[in-house]
Amino acid sequence: MNRHFGSRQAVGIAAVSALALTLTACGGGRDSGRSGDAAEGAPSPGITDDSVTLGITTPLSGATAGPGTCTVAGVTAYFGMKNAEGGVEFGDGQTRTVEIEALDDTYDPQQAAANYDSLKDDVFAMTAGLGTPTNRAWREAAIADEVPQALIMTGDPLFSDTEESPWQLGFVPIYQNEGEAFGELLASSSEEHRVAILSQNDDFGAGYVEGFKSAVEGADNIEIVEELTYEATDTSVDAQITQLAASDADVFFNAMSVTPLVISALQQAQQLNWLPNWFLPSNTSSPGAILQPGGADAFPGIYSVSFSKAPQSPAFAEDEDVQTYLSALAEYGNYPDPPAFPHCQWSWMVGATLEQAFMEMEEPTRDSFMEALRSIEDFQAPLMLEGTAVTTSEDGQPAVSTLNVQKYNGTGYDTVESFE
Amino acid sequence: MASSSKTSAPTTPAPASSAAASSASSFRQRPWVRWGAPLLLVVGLAVLPLVMTESANDTLARIGVFAVAVLGLNVVMGYTGQVSLGQIFFLGLGAYVTAYGVQSGWNIGLVFVLTCFIPAVVGLLVALAAARLGGLAIAMVTIALPIVGVPLAKRLSEFTGGSQGLSARFVAAPEGSGLYDDQWQLYIVLVIGGIVFLLTYFLVRGKYGRAFAIVKGNENVASSMGISPYRYKVLAFTIASLIGGVSGFLYMVVVQYTSPETMSFGHSIELLVAMVIGGAGSIVGSLLGGVFYVVVPDITNAIDPSLTALLQGALLLAVLFVLPGGLVSLPRAVMRGLRRSSTGRGSAAPPTTPSSTSGSGTAAEPTETERQGSA
Amino acid sequence: MTLLELEDVTASYGPVQVLDGVSLSVPDNGAFGILGANGAGKTTTLRAISGAVRTSGRIVFDGKDISGLRPDQVAALGIAHVPEGRGSFGDLTVRENLRVGAYLRKDRKGIDEDIDYCLDLFPNLQDRIRSNASALSGGEQQMLAVARAIMSKPRMLLLDEASLGLAPSTAKNVYDAIRRLRDESGIAMVVVEQNANLAFTVVDSATVLETGRSVLTGTSAELKGMDEIRRAYLGG
Repeated sequence: MNRHFGSRQAVGIAAVSALALTLTACGGGRDSGRSGDAAEGAPSPGITDDSVTLGITTPLSGATAGPGTCTVAGVTAYFGMKNAEGGVEFGDGQTRTVEIEALDDTYDPQQAAANYDSLKDDVFAMTAGLGTPTNRAWREAAIADEVPQALIMTGDPLFSDTEESPWQLGFVPIYQNEGEAFGELLASSSEEHRVAILSQNDDFGAGYVEGFKSAVEGADNIEIVEELTYEATDTSVDAQITQLAASDADVFFNAMSVTPLVISALQQAQQLNWLPNWFLPSNTSSPGAILQPGGADAFPGIYSVSFSKAPQSPAFAEDEDVQTYLSALAEYGNYPDPPAFPHCQWSWMVGATLEQAFMEMEEPTRDSFMEALRSIEDFQAPLMLEGTAVTTSEDGQPAVSTLNVQKYNGTGYDTVESFE
Repeated sequence: MASSSKTSAPTTPAPASSAAASSASSFRQRPWVRWGAPLLLVVGLAVLPLVMTESANDTLARIGVFAVAVLGLNVVMGYTGQVSLGQIFFLGLGAYVTAYGVQSGWNIGLVFVLTCFIPAVVGLLVALAAARLGGLAIAMVTIALPIVGVPLAKRLSEFTGGSQGLSARFVAAPEGSGLYDDQWQLYIVLVIGGIVFLLTYFLVRGKYGRAFAIVKGNENVASSMGISPYRYKVLAFTIASLIGGVSGFLYMVVVQYTSPETMSFGHSIELLVAMVIGGAGSIVGSLLGGVFYVVVPDITNAIDPSLTALLQGALLLAVLFVLPGGLVSLPRAVMRGLRRSSTGRGSAAPPTTPSSTSGSGTAAEPTETERQGSA
Repeated sequence: MTLLELEDVTASYGPVQVLDGVSLSVPDNGAFGILGANGAGKTTTLRAISGAVRTSGRIVFDGKDISGLRPDQVAALGIAHVPEGRGSFGDLTVRENLRVGAYLRKDRKGIDEDIDYCLDLFPNLQDRIRSNASALSGGEQQMLAVARAIMSKPRMLLLDEASLGLAPSTAKNVYDAIRRLRDESGIAMVVVEQNANLAFTVVDSATVLETGRSVLTGTSAELKGMDEIRRAYLGG
């Protein structure tokens, strides 16, 4: 037997069968499998009279699997609970169960785009996925396909710009919101403050600083005395801390996203005996992982921002919201342990917010859904802190743009109304 | 690393210009077979995008993107034997050049040329330094590329859009063509990818390919033959970088978005895995590597999205255990199994020993007839 | 006529001085031997010529100073090195290995003729022409290594310990072929060989190295006669 002969023949057979496939498939019409333009008011894909399917692409493996898994668990638990109660009553009078179809994108934009492609014809809307690049990768495709990309977990302001992103809406506060919240609190202080700023030299750091500056602009009692940056790849910020300490500022606005750098910055400042009030972003202000190792008790105040109740906190141990949430998360969310990431709580709130939109949408269409989604005002979702709320009608803002400034109390955080 | 371009040659539908005449294969010498089969394949590929679903077209286009990236890796690693862990950097660089060029409104032809040129020059410069070091040092230098590339892309936000990345939707189907965008994109991938594959095929079959194989086989002997290992390592690395750049262009055609995560180090390892799984030192293996890279995450997602990493690892081990030569060796393994079961004990030994069929990546004169042994 | 001349060549591996002033001159035909005990610097001298070690002193090939050139540049000038340990391409067939040897050549016809010549020179290879090099015996691999060097159509062949690890009869076969090559091809040869008896079957003249220094040079006949030297340096 001649092997050479055999493989040639195989190529031939493959080609012939490809052609045969062509001929038979041609009869089936050439736009097979493509979502055509549906008639006015006809149901969109992914929704029937008794169920609606939502899609999520999020990292379920790799370095960001922890928060990514939470983004699925919360919303799955929320609707698992609702489905068990019979489903959600939609604005068109139908009661539907809500199914979730989640795919892993490993925080890879390419895979996220591929996941979107494979989900878009089967789901009514995409939601809750984590990550800026992974959501940006298919944002324009979603606009072109008119598929909602609703309540996603990214602080990127692009998704909250109605003009640019008509089918999108971010859920969590953008970086600017966080900086702004702290700036507002500081500006309302009755005393004079000298502020030192250290920020990461990218859009993350720039966003915080922009928000902060816009809030303190025109406040006579605030003076920014020194402003430095560092690179996300730097292994030490000791030089910057030393220089900032020399400014003798009494408030330190520290927009930093790298955990070990925050810890070493806290320690370095203590060594220099520079003890300002200290602001940290929500993602690098964990009491257990950062503040305690950094010896944060030495500072007069460590401030951060939040909008969700922390289930671990003793203050909320008896809270009804928290108890419902934790039991649903274990029962329906396939997440038996106490959540290690706030994304679980956020995802739960996404579920509640989606329910609000579902209850208002009058037709089973994506258009009607987006309209309903964009008209939620001042909705106090479960697990939200007093003073924060979901408001989707404001252009340029994500669904949650209000934050409470909190102060570290040695074990957790307490909401504060005024500075000092 | 076992490699097998030699044996993959027959399945590659390029003109077998220099194939030695074999008395046993008059069939394939008939003109209609020699030219008809490749022609049919081309026709098949030309028609395929029209009849497949949008999602199948998307998948096929992504396979094309990563098959080209794996092909580039194969040039430096499979054929020349130099460990490169930086191939994804050149894909990312190509993607950024494309995105930046498109956003700046440059002519698309110019963008494509730059997408080839810039990664090739960067690859050349890196190789000039790294190839002198030799051995594991090359691997170390290439590791640094994606590790430096990601923060660099975040920092140079003026060009790269920082961590928010760059979008460029520049490949809409032309008006009046009646094509859908996904069909048009797939055609672009098929044409550009096809040309890259064909050129690479001729490269590794030709004089340069032979030099690559000699350098891979034994650097000292290469030197004693008058072949500078340094020069050919640099050449292979540069070509791999150029091909990586082209795959970056195709990436933008298909994904239309790039961010620092595009070139994260993990993907470089995944490309390497895809190359080994597909078949190192093999053109067809590169294609299969692309299939593996793209299809496996989709499959594992379909099985259980929360276990993708585990399932992929298990699949990787399974393939390497059953087919150490990669997927490209599957037909041969099956044939061998069939032969073994059909020829009972005591009958003549198979005409070729296993070691003689798992050739090196050498592109010496085709000697298929010799390899058929004395059967 | 002198084809290759070494003048006071020194070389070291790190702190260890291996060549300590080697001088020799190789004529443009026939075979020249480098003899000496283990560790005398024979192999290093070949590696110095082929550019594989850094040296000081002068190495002149055909009137051109080649010290400091890379191995591939030296090879391109027509010096083919058959290193100790052979180093063939195990995955390639014998024929493919021979073609590899002709890599830099463009004359297709001449290549085919030279392949035929090599197979005539080493009939064992003729029998194994389709085998992978890795399947060859040690003697056959040595023959292949020499044949591959011939395929590059060199002006000078550097042969390093061609008898190493071979059975005496096989070693004799190899050297018979080398002698025939010397007589027929006009390729100049530098032969490094620890087995002096074998070496004297091919070399016309030779130099004896002792601890990195050439201590004695003469024709085969002269050297063969010096019993003391033979005992001291050539192992009898």
